[in-house]
Formats: sequence, C-alpha cells, structure tokens
Amino acid sequence: MSTESLALALLIAPLVGSFLALVFFRRKHVIASGIVVASGLVSVIASAMLLFGAGHDVGAITARWFSIGDTPIEFGILLDGRTMIMGAVVALITLCIEVYSLSYMKHDEGRGRFFAFLALFAWSMLSFVYSSSLLQAFIFWELVGLASFFLIGFWYEKPSAVAAAKKAFIMTRIGDVGLFIGLILLFMTTGTLDIPAINTLFAGDGLPEGIAPGRIELIAALLFIGVIGKSAQFPLHTWLPDAMEGPTPVSALLHSATMVAAGVFLVTRFHGLFMNAQQTMEWMLWIAVGTAILSSTMAMVAKDMKRVLAFSSISQLGFMLMGLAAGSLFAGYFHLITHAFFKALLFLCAGAFIHHVGSNDLIAMGRAGAAKQMKLTTVALVIGGSALAGIPFLAGFFSKEQIIGSLPIGAKIGALFAAFLTAYYTFRMIFLIVRPNADSMAVEDEPAHAQHEDGHEHHGPAEPLAMLAPIILLAVGAAGAGYIGNWIGHKLHIEHIEHPSITEMAPAIVIAILGVVFAWLEFGRKGARQTGFVSKIPSMQTLFERRWYLDEIYNVVFVRPVVWFASLCIGAENKGFDNGADAVAHGTYKGGRMVARSHSGRLQFYIGSAIVVVAALALTLGFRNGGGAG
Amino acid sequence: MGDFPILTATLLCPALALLVTLLIPGRNGMAIKAANALCALLSVIFAAMIWVAYDRTVGGYQMLEVVPWVPTFGIDYRVAVDGVSVVLTMLTALVFFTGVLTMWTLETRVKEYFAFMAALVFGVFGVFFSLDIFAFFFFYEVAVLPMYPLIAVWGSTRKTYSAMKLTLYLMLGSALLFPGLIALFVYSGGQTWNLVEIAQSGAFSRETQIFLYPFLYVGFGILAGMFPFHGWSPTGHVAAPTAVSMLHAGVLMKLGAFGIFRIGMTVLPEGAEFWAPTFAVLATIGIVYGAFVAMRQTDFKYVIGFSSVSHMGIVLLGLNVWAMSRSDTAGLDGAVFQMFAHGIMTALFFSAVGFIYDQTHDRDIRHFGGLTSQVPVASSMFIVAALCGMGVPGFASFWAELLVFIAAIETFPVLGIAAIAGLIFTAAYVLRVLGKAMYGPRNPDWENLKDVTLWSVLPRAILVGVLLLFGFYPNLILDMIRSAGGGS
Amino acid sequence: MTLGVWLVFALAIFCLGLYCVLGRRNLIVILIGIELMLNAVSVNFMAVNYYLAPDPSVGQIVVLFIIGLAAAEAAIALSIILSVYRQRKSISIANLEELKG
Repeated sequence: MSTESLALALLIAPLVGSFLALVFFRRKHVIASGIVVASGLVSVIASAMLLFGAGHDVGAITARWFSIGDTPIEFGILLDGRTMIMGAVVALITLCIEVYSLSYMKHDEGRGRFFAFLALFAWSMLSFVYSSSLLQAFIFWELVGLASFFLIGFWYEKPSAVAAAKKAFIMTRIGDVGLFIGLILLFMTTGTLDIPAINTLFAGDGLPEGIAPGRIELIAALLFIGVIGKSAQFPLHTWLPDAMEGPTPVSALLHSATMVAAGVFLVTRFHGLFMNAQQTMEWMLWIAVGTAILSSTMAMVAKDMKRVLAFSSISQLGFMLMGLAAGSLFAGYFHLITHAFFKALLFLCAGAFIHHVGSNDLIAMGRAGAAKQMKLTTVALVIGGSALAGIPFLAGFFSKEQIIGSLPIGAKIGALFAAFLTAYYTFRMIFLIVRPNADSMAVEDEPAHAQHEDGHEHHGPAEPLAMLAPIILLAVGAAGAGYIGNWIGHKLHIEHIEHPSITEMAPAIVIAILGVVFAWLEFGRKGARQTGFVSKIPSMQTLFERRWYLDEIYNVVFVRPVVWFASLCIGAENKGFDNGADAVAHGTYKGGRMVARSHSGRLQFYIGSAIVVVAALALTLGFRNGGGAG
Repeated sequence: MGDFPILTATLLCPALALLVTLLIPGRNGMAIKAANALCALLSVIFAAMIWVAYDRTVGGYQMLEVVPWVPTFGIDYRVAVDGVSVVLTMLTALVFFTGVLTMWTLETRVKEYFAFMAALVFGVFGVFFSLDIFAFFFFYEVAVLPMYPLIAVWGSTRKTYSAMKLTLYLMLGSALLFPGLIALFVYSGGQTWNLVEIAQSGAFSRETQIFLYPFLYVGFGILAGMFPFHGWSPTGHVAAPTAVSMLHAGVLMKLGAFGIFRIGMTVLPEGAEFWAPTFAVLATIGIVYGAFVAMRQTDFKYVIGFSSVSHMGIVLLGLNVWAMSRSDTAGLDGAVFQMFAHGIMTALFFSAVGFIYDQTHDRDIRHFGGLTSQVPVASSMFIVAALCGMGVPGFASFWAELLVFIAAIETFPVLGIAAIAGLIFTAAYVLRVLGKAMYGPRNPDWENLKDVTLWSVLPRAILVGVLLLFGFYPNLILDMIRSAGGGS
Repeated sequence: MTLGVWLVFALAIFCLGLYCVLGRRNLIVILIGIELMLNAVSVNFMAVNYYLAPDPSVGQIVVLFIIGLAAAEAAIALSIILSVYRQRKSISIANLEELKG
C-alpha cells in the first residue's frame, strides 16, 4: 500500500467506525463495539506500517482546502518522526483501551454510544497528531475537547459527571481562546499556518528577518495558554481531577496518550518557535515545576485511586514541559511516549481493581484483598508504579533522567523534589492496596467513594482476558519503552543524545529510592500506621485535600463575578431595554391621548378651524402674490 | 438554461404557494400543507439551480431580469444575484422547506398560517434578488409585516405584546430607512432607483455619506438584532410558533444584515468606513452581552433568542470589519457564512425545541433533565445545534467565526480579542442548557415523551446535513461568497 | 349697479351661511347654511363673469356645476340627517360627539 492510502486509512477508519456506531448501531452494542475495535486495529496496523515502513520523513501530503483572503489553507497529513511515533502510540493505546472496554463496559446500557465516542476521540486525536497545518491542528484540538466532553459526561444522569464534563470543556476553552488568538497572530506574522513551513522558518538560531522578538514572545505565550488549558497546568489544571467522573477507560485514554498529551505535543511540534521566545520558556519552566510539585502534594493525600493517578498525570505533564522549556525536545518527547504507556497501564489496573472491588477508595481496595485475588494485575500495577516513580531501568526512569539532566540548577532542585514526592505517593498507593492494614488509623476515615462508579454489580472472573491482555501488553511497554530512546532520537533527527553519566543520574535515583523507602516506612512495613507524614500537620493535610482551595478561589474570583455580571446584564435587559422600550411605547401612547383631547368631537369647531386656516392661507398667499400682481 | 427567468421563477414559488393556499378550502388542511411543501421543495430546487448556474469565475451580478414597474419614477422590477444572494437564497429555500415540514402537525387555522408564511418568504426572496432600491424596500416590508399576525395569532407567551413590540421596533427601523432610501434617490439625481447606477453615480460627497449611513445601518440593523435595538428579537422568538421562529431567526434577521451590505455599504462606502469603528464596538458588545444574558435564562427559547443576538453580532462585526478595510474580504466572507450557518443552526434549534414543546407545553430548562435518554434523536438534534452554536469545528459556523475573528483581529485587535473571549461565555451558556435539560437526572414527568418519527426527523436531518456539509467543506460556500466580494 | 355691490351682496349671503354653519345646532339649518354659502359663491362667479370675463360662458359653466353639486350634496346630507334622526331621535349637532378623541 502506498503511504498516502495508509495514512488516509489510518485517519478515516476511526471516523467511519464512530459514525456507524453512533448513527446506526448505538443500540446494537456488539456490532458497535466490534466496528470500533476493528477500526482501532486498522489504525494501529496502518500507523505501524507507516512508522516502520516509511522510515524517513515523508513530509506532508496536502490538498487545498480553502483560502483566507488570498492565502490558501491546506489540509494535509504530515508524516515525520514526531507525528509517526506519536500517532503509532496513540493508536496502540487507544486499541488497548478499546479492547479493555469490551469487558469493562460489558454491563453498561449505553456502551454503543461509549464506543462511538471512543472512536470519535481516537479520530480527533490521531488527526490532531498528523495535522500538517496549525489551523487543522486547532480544529482537531477542539474536537478532542468535544469528544472528551462526551466521554467525561458519559454517565450523563449523574449531575457530578455533567458538571465535570462542563468544567473540563470550559476550562480548556479558556486555553483555546489563547491558542486561537495566537494562531491568528502567527498567521498574520508569518503568513502561513503550515507546520513544516513554520518549523523551517524558526529552525535556525535567531529570529527570521522582519519578525519582532516581542511578537514571537506574544505568540508563544498565547499558544502556551492553550497548552496550559489542555495539558492541565497551573492555573488551569482544576478540570482534570474532576474529569475522573468518566468511566475508567476514558480516564486512561484522556491521561495517557490523548487529550492532555495534545498540549505537550503542540509544544514539541512548535519547539523551534518556542525556543525563540526565551521569556515565555522561562515562564513555562517555572509553571511546569510549580505544577509538578503542587499536584504531587495533592496526590499524597488523595484517597481515591483514580484521583491519585490524575494528580500524577498533571505532575508528569509538568515534567514534560520542564524538559521542553529547558530546551530539550528529546527529553520532553521521550517522556511523553513513556508516560503514555505507564499511565495508561496504571489506569487500566485501577479500572480492574475498581471493577472488582466496586469502589475507588484505596483503603477499601486493600481491605477487600484485591491484590491477592488479582495477582497479574497487581504485578502490572507495581511495574507501572515503579515506572512512574522513576525506579531504575523501567521506562519512566530513562525519560525522567533526560529531563532532569537538561534542567538548570534551580529548576532541577524543584524537579527532584517533585520526583521524590512522586515516588512517595505512588508507593503509598501501591502499599495501601497490596499491604492492607486492618487496624490502621485509616479505618476511621470514610471511604471516598463507597459505591461503584457506574452502580452495577459485577460477577465473573476477577481478571477477564479482555482486560488482562491490554494490561500485560502495556506492562511490557512500561517496562521496555525506556530502551527505545536512541531510536526515537534518531527518528526526531537528534544526532547526539547526551546520556547523563552515573554521577549525574545518582541524585534522581537516590531521591526515587528514598521516596519508596519513606512510603515503605509509613505504609508498607508490618504494623505501619498507614498515615502519611502530612497528616501530622492537619492544616496542611486539609490544604492538600482541598486541592489548595483553588476551586473555591476560582469560584469566588471568576465564577461568581461572571454570574453576577450575567445577572447585571439580565437586569439591564429587563429593566433597561425592555422597560425602556415599553416606556417609549407608553409615552407615545400617552402623548397621543393628550393630542387627542383637542379633538372635542364638536363638528362646528372643526369646520371653523378649517375655515380659519384656509382663510389665513389664502390671505398669506394672496399678499405674497399680490405684491407682484398689484 | 439560457433565458429561463430563474429568479422570477424562484420568487413565484412562494407566490404560487400563497395562491394555492388561498384557493384550497380551509378545512382541507393536509392539501394546504402538501401544496406548500411542494412549492417549498420547488424553491429549493430552483435555489440549487441558481447555485449551479451562477458563474463564480465571472462574479458580480448575474441572471439579470428587468421589467419596468413605475417608469415615471424610474422604478423597475430589476432582479439579479451575486454570490451573497445566491447563498442566502439557498438558506431561505431550505428554511422554508424545513419550516413547512416542521409545522406538519399544525391544526389551528392552517390556511391563514401558511398564507402568511408564504407571503413572508415571497418578500424575503424579493429582497435578496432586488437591485432596485424601491423594489427592495417594497419586498422588505412584505417580508416584515406578516410577522405580526403570525405571532399574535399562533404564538404563545405574551403573544400580543411580543407581536406589537416586534412590529413597533421594525417600524422604527423602516421609519429610519424610508427617508434614507429616498435621500439616496434624490441625491443621486432623482432619475433612477437602480442600485448599481446609484452606487456608481458618485453623487454622494463624504459628508452626505456620513450623514446618511446611520439611517440605513440602524434602520436595517434593527432587523438584524443589532445591540442596543435587539429587544424585539428574543421576545419575538419566544412568542412565535416554531416555524415562524425558524424563519424569523433563520432568515428574517439576515435581511437586515443583507440590507446593510447591499445598500448601505455598497452605495455609501465612505460613510460605512467612517462609522465602522462605532458600529463594530456595538456589534462586539452585542456578542458578549447576548452571551451573558443567555447564561441566566430559564426558557429554552430565550436562550436561543439571546444567542441569536450574540451570533448576529458576529455577522455585524464581520461586515464592519470589511467596511473598514475592503481589500481583505475575510470579514465579508465570514459575515455571510455566519448568516448562512446561523440561519440553519438556529432553525435547527427552534425546530428541536418546538418538538419538545409541542408535547410538553413547557419550555423551562429547569423542568427537564436527561432528555437524551428520553428522546435520544430529538435531543441529539438539539445537541448538534448547540455544538454548532459553540463554534465547534466540523460544523459550518466554526469557519464563519474563524474568518470574522481573523479579520477582526487584523483591523480592530481589541474588539477581536473581546469577541473571541466571548466564545468562553458562549460555551458556558450552551453547556448550561445541555447540562440541565439534555443531561442530568431524568425528570419522571416526561418519561412518556415520544421521540421523533421518521417523517418529522426529515427536516431536522436536512439541517444537520447542511451544517456538517459546510462544516467539512467550507470552500463550497466560500468560493460562492468570495465571487461577490470583488464584484461590489 | 357695479361689481362692488354684487360682491358685497354675495359676501353678506356668505356670512349668513357661515353663521348658520358655525353657530346653529340644528343639522337642517346647517345644511341650509351650506347651501347659502354655495349660492354666494355662485353669485360671485356670475358677477365677476358679467363684468370682467371676456368669455361669458366660463363663469356660467362653473355655476351650473355648483348647482349640480349642491343638489347632490343636499340629497346625501339629507339622507345622512335622516339616518341620524332614526338612530338618535334628534338632529341636534350637540349630540354628535362620537369622534371625540
């Protein structure tokens, strides 16, 4: 098959699958899910053939779409290292999650719709990745947001799910506005939205001629606002923990290779441009470091397994952006890929536990003895968790080393601290599940979510094959993805990858192991109290649990003023415009009545007035003419 | 098709519908509906023929037909189309057709209803075709006047008040227009009402243009729902019966914007340029203001009504941007595209709400919940319209907004950014409605709602199809619009 | 007998008619007043015609028109007055105030 047809098949298959499932088969669940999984398989095969078959940069396959003014806007598929690797990862992880969902969503009444939206999501994300112009990327960026809206709000009868979906959409929309303005400015500045063209323009050191540095800073900052929204960085990260209201496979999809990854991918896509905006990169670096630490503190105290993972996503995205901001395209991109594997794995494990135990609560899972009943899943969980924590020789270790190695010293300290917290909270989670302690203090705590998230009772094997197979596949990925770094670098045309020496790596290794040990002391060892050190300072514990009160602050600072202003507008509308219009109408009416009074109804008065007027007219006209005629 | 008078034929479709409706006895409702549907379908076919026959490479006004009407005053029946009117003709025909189908279940005074509706559409077609200013105004009034009986007789919720308010507002507009149009005639020498000749006469000094333009802009703008003269539109939408809301928001409001473009901006370019910043500010306020007011409404139709104010603000912003810098047609392209997209989208909105209202006689958002599971197809129609309203890519209005915003940022950066930020609030009010009514816990009262039948899904499916078609392939419409931009 | 005398005569008749129309309540009397005014105008025409006009026929044609109109007007007015009387049993103008604003 030719490259073009492969690329087209890869992108069209999920769209067709989604359309068929949504319009024709949303009640025929088996057909719908079958179609969607088949379309996912097509994407995986096609993207793999592209990745391994094409071998080098094919460039963009484009067609004219329409034009803005006189500038043609092209629609195309861009095939280079960055898109092909990412595309293959997205397709693979999506397929894993689709297969997993076959079992996970088996009892849900709306699963035809669920699979349709999954495919829609896959289509949007794949198309986003392979986009050859920023406009096209923006379109699919928006569609990714839309699909995630439907998926987060999948259990739409739960008000909390609807609210979470709404929040996710609006928060990311705030970022999108920034991206949109940035896009327009970029278009005005460079006259093109073509990604390869823009990358060529900003490939060298220094700015292209005729472009002011301030302009590029502005554009980069605006684009970065979009990234903040999508990749859930401070201060627009608050939608992400709430997005856990969706079914677990959705969380796995959203948090690994899609949705949140879109923001980071955009930065890698325009890394050349960003590198020309030093000020913005400085900001990006510190926002990323801050976000990584902030979200780690929240993860330390969360009781809901999915929330722990959600916070860890935010912090890992922070790591990726750190690497990119520090100038290392490779580090950020590498971590994006490895993270996709281990985070998808962790969520799928979480889903398996939740499915089995019927609760999201870590302590409840531990007490139910889930770890003993689900040995393979538990092993996978430990692999994924270790990869996340940066334990040596698993996937996360290599990419995280690359990032930390690329950072300037100040940020490095922050990143190391975040890495310590990551190891700590990851193993806190693992130990709580694997080594439950019935006598612990934690018994007094109420479970975070007592009921199962979709309210169904499940019977059957604890580890059905459809769920286990993706988990094992991803576990292999999470363990091994770290070893393809050189190959990725080659694909990205990075000639020389600096591998940090053992002395440079040492602090991060030590920190990670320290975190694990710390978690062991507090949660893992026999007779551990299973309460974190944070709980010794209750105010801090509350602060972390309430997520630094950011939701409350936003509510006061943004939501309420908007609502207030809307009320003001309504007041203006009803009291001002409506009453004003009514007042004008009434005034006219009253005025009419006043004038009408002069119409007494007495005929002789009318006739008399008429005669007087006619006479007066005659006299005036007569005099005027008479002056001449004599 | 050579010398077949296609425009006159299109214009006669609603006239034929009117005639046939008047001839069929009122008790024979089904025959009236069928006749109207046929005539409407015919007009869709004709509109498609015009679309195909219009030569994009040449541009300008085509398919000219001239018949003297009142030779003493230089008034002719002079019809022709350019790219903009081709697009709007298509819109009108589509909304007419789907509107007739939507009212298939109407039982009260069927005859009178369809007669008025046909008269309205007749006027609308006339406006889009006329190149004679007098005829333009004539058809304009023909289109506007049937609104009063249509709302006052078949409406709901304070219908007489709304009908009167609407009529008074529109009359205010006409009162501004009429002297403005007569002044055009007089200043240009009093020989002809021909738009093209008047525009090319060069008879208007800069001062005259600056003086006259606001008459035309505000006069037409009232019908386009321009802030701060939008008050009639939400109330009117709410009170009107479904198909009238569809026609009203879908087509009638476009007449106003079209008038601004066709007469105001064509004849008085310097006046338009002088006033563009002022009116662009008003348009932007309209965009944001409409979104904010819509955020707190509880009636479905009020939400849509204010969203129309917001969306028409985008049209007006685009037009003003174009008036400011004509070398860049993106503003005009976007404005016309938005007229089309908003027309189809809002027709779909009202049609979906009308379907729910017909069964429940309730439009309070708070009284609904989980409609997606109760009436999945009908709700998905509403959701599609809502997504289009948010400017989600893949639907027609995304492109329209994109073009307007691009043009706006280049010409009026601050306004452009404010308008784009308005998207956040648009998302907020749209999602609020979706979250409250379409999603959320079911309301047990409406468990027995019937979903759309195959027959009644047809008009809505057509509208969805059109939105998607132009959402994925915007060039289809952009080429058409653009061929006009150079011509005028 | 000069033109002036005739004009003064016509003026007097016209004023009498005007007084009837404006001052009296009875509809019949008002109608008579209108007839008087019309006749005064006729006299004016005849007089001016006789003394000044080169072609005598012009004024006479106008007067014939006036007579014809007066007859028609009287017929219509009387029928209106009759129907007013049937409705209200009165022909006083004081009772006819329905057009009051």
